[in-house]
Amino acid sequence: MTYLPKRLVIEAAVADTALVRRILDCYSRLPVDWVERLDAEESALGDGQALEVAGFRGRFIKVCPGTRSYLCCGYQILHLGTQCSLGCTYCILQAYLSGRNLRLFANLDDMWLELMEHLRSSPRKVHRLGTGEFMDSLLLDPVTRLSRELIPFFADQPRAVLELKTKTANVELLEGLSHGGRTIVAWSLNPQDLIQSEEPGAAGLEARLEAARRCQEWGYRLAFHFDPLIACPGWQQGYTEVVNRLAATVDPERIAWISLGTLRFMPALKEIIRRRHTGSALLHEEFVPGLDGKLRYFRDLRVEMYRHLSTLLRRLSRDLLIYLCMESEDIWREALGFSPAERGGLSAMLDSRVPS
Amino acid sequence: MAEPHLEPIPLAAIDWQDTSCLITYGPLPDTLRRSIQAVGLLQIPLLQGRQHGRFRIVAGSRRLLICRELGLEPVTCQILHESLSPEACLRLAVYDNVATRVLNPVEKSLVLAKMLASLPRPQVIGEFMPLLDLEPSSKLLSRYLELQRLEKDMLDALADGTLHERTASALVPLAPSDRRALSALFGEFSFSVSVQEEIIELAVEIGRREGMAPAEVLKADAIAALRREQKRPARHRAEEIRRYLQGRRTPRLTARWERFLRETQELGLPSHVRLVPPPYFEGPHWRLECTFQSGKDLARVLQAVAVMAEQPEFQTVLEGHSIS
Repeated sequence: MTYLPKRLVIEAAVADTALVRRILDCYSRLPVDWVERLDAEESALGDGQALEVAGFRGRFIKVCPGTRSYLCCGYQILHLGTQCSLGCTYCILQAYLSGRNLRLFANLDDMWLELMEHLRSSPRKVHRLGTGEFMDSLLLDPVTRLSRELIPFFADQPRAVLELKTKTANVELLEGLSHGGRTIVAWSLNPQDLIQSEEPGAAGLEARLEAARRCQEWGYRLAFHFDPLIACPGWQQGYTEVVNRLAATVDPERIAWISLGTLRFMPALKEIIRRRHTGSALLHEEFVPGLDGKLRYFRDLRVEMYRHLSTLLRRLSRDLLIYLCMESEDIWREALGFSPAERGGLSAMLDSRVPS
Repeated sequence: MAEPHLEPIPLAAIDWQDTSCLITYGPLPDTLRRSIQAVGLLQIPLLQGRQHGRFRIVAGSRRLLICRELGLEPVTCQILHESLSPEACLRLAVYDNVATRVLNPVEKSLVLAKMLASLPRPQVIGEFMPLLDLEPSSKLLSRYLELQRLEKDMLDALADGTLHERTASALVPLAPSDRRALSALFGEFSFSVSVQEEIIELAVEIGRREGMAPAEVLKADAIAALRREQKRPARHRAEEIRRYLQGRRTPRLTARWERFLRETQELGLPSHVRLVPPPYFEGPHWRLECTFQSGKDLARVLQAVAVMAEQPEFQTVLEGHSIS
C-alpha cells in the first residue's frame, strides 16, 4: 500500500533535512511548491491531494487528549504528523482537522531532543508512546523510513515502549531491526465487510493479520484494537470470525494488549459522514450523547458488544490484557466484571506489560 | 456620467420583465397600498434608463406595481444613467431596501444569490451578510442560497413567516414529496422550530435505516390515528407524535426508559419522592428528589428510602441488567 500524493508542499526552512531528502527521492516526479511557511488558511482548504512537509513549532510529545468522565489509558503521543488518506468513514480527524492534506513534520532533530529529554526527565515513570493518534503510524513509513530510527532508539530505552498503530500492511522496513521487545506493532481490526464499506483505503483483514504474523515472527509483540466496534446487522458473527482468524494467525501469548471501544464521535462528525460517505450505514444505529458530549451507542448495546468480544478473546489466552477505551467504571464492571481501580488503575495495568 | 434626474415616466415604458435588480418577494403589503391611495407616492422609485426609451426598475418595484394596480400614472421617478453597471444598480437596490424595512428570508436569499453573481464570495459574506442581519459565515451563506431550491408554496410560507428559515433549511435536502408531507404535519400542529428540526431529523434517520422515504414514515398507523383524533387537544397529540418518532428512532433507550418507569412503580417509593436516572442512563450518578414539610418529615422519608435502597429490587433499577 503506497501513498501517492499529486504534489508536495514543502516549507523552505526544512529543505535541508534528511526527511525532506527521502521524500524528494521517493516522489521525484511530483511537482513541488516551496513555500516560506505553510499558510494555515490554505491548508485548511487542502483537498487531500498534497503532502505537506513543515517544521513543527509545538510540543512533539503530548498526552492523549482522552475525554473527561471516562477512563483513559494514559497513552502519550509522539506527534510526527497529521491526517490520513485511508478514508475511514468514521475517522475523527475529518472533524478534528480542517485540512485534508497529510502533513509531516521534518524538524526531527528537535523531536529527538524533546523525546530524549522527556524520557530522561522521568526515568522511573513507564512511558507508553505511540505515533498513531493523529495519523496512521505506518502509512507513510515506506517514504519516511522513520521506523528504522524510532525502533532501534526505543530498544535502548528502559521503561519505555513504542506502539505503532496501523490499518496498513506496511511492515517491510521493520524486518531485521533491533527492537529489544520495546516496540509493539498494533492493528485496528474489523470484519472484512465493514473494512470494505467503512475503511475503503485500508488493508484488508487478511493482509493486516498476515503483517501481524510477520512482525511476530520477527520477535515483535503485538497489540490489537477493536476500535471502533461497529454495530451493523450480524456484528456478532462478524467479530467472532475476526477473533477466530486472529487466533489462527498469531500467537495470543505474545499479544501485549487488546483494546475494545465502540463507535463514538463528536456531533460535528455526523454531518460530515452524511455528506462525504453517502452510502455508509454507520449512522443507522441509535446514538446518545455521552458524558463527554460525544455520541455513543446506548449503554446496553455497548455492554453487549464488550461482553461478546471479551468472552471470545479470553478463550485465546488466560493472560490476555483486555481493556476498554474511554468507558466509565460502571460499564467496565458491567461488561468485564471488574473496574480498573481494583487492579491499580488502567495505566498501571498497561504499564505492567512494559518490560522493565 | 450624467447625474440622476427626476422624470415623469409612463408605466408602459417600464420593462416589467427585467428582474435583474428585483429583490422583493411576497404579496404587496396592504399598508403600502392604503398609503399610496391616500397620499400618493412619498418615496420616489429608482429606475435606470435603457435602450429605446425603456426603463429598468432598480428600487421601488412594489410601489410601481401598486401604482399600476391603481391606475396612477405617469409616476415621477429618479432616473439613473444607462452606463451604470448592473452590480452598482443592484447594490443601490439592496441599500435602498434595507434602509426602510427588514427583508424576509427569501429576499435575503435573493440578495445573496444576485450579489454572488458579480462579487467574490468573501465580499458577499463580509459586506452583505451583516447588512442583512446575518452572521457572516460561509456555511450560513450556503444555507441561504439553498433556500432557492424550495417550491413556490414553501417560499411563500417562508416569506410570510409561517415557515421558519431553520425549518426550511432542514427541508431543502429532501425530495419535494417529503417536504410536502412534513410541512403538512407542521401546518396541523404547532411544534416549536427546534422540535420541527428534530422531527425532520427523526423522519429522515428512521427512513434511512428502514429503507423508506420520510413521507412514508409519517404515514405510520400511530401517527395517522393521532392526526384523526380531532377531539383531543392538538398539543397533546403533537407531543405523542414526537414521542412515537423518538421511540422508533431510539428503541433501546425507549425500552430502557419504559423498564425504568415500570420498575420504579413496582418499588413503591414514598409519595413526594422521585428517582431520576442519569441523562440517557449514561454514567453512575442518579438523583433522588423529594419534597418535605419539616425535619421530621424529611427524616421519615429518608428512612423509608434507606430501607428500600437495601432491597434487591432497588439494585435492579440501578443496574442495566437486562441485556437483550
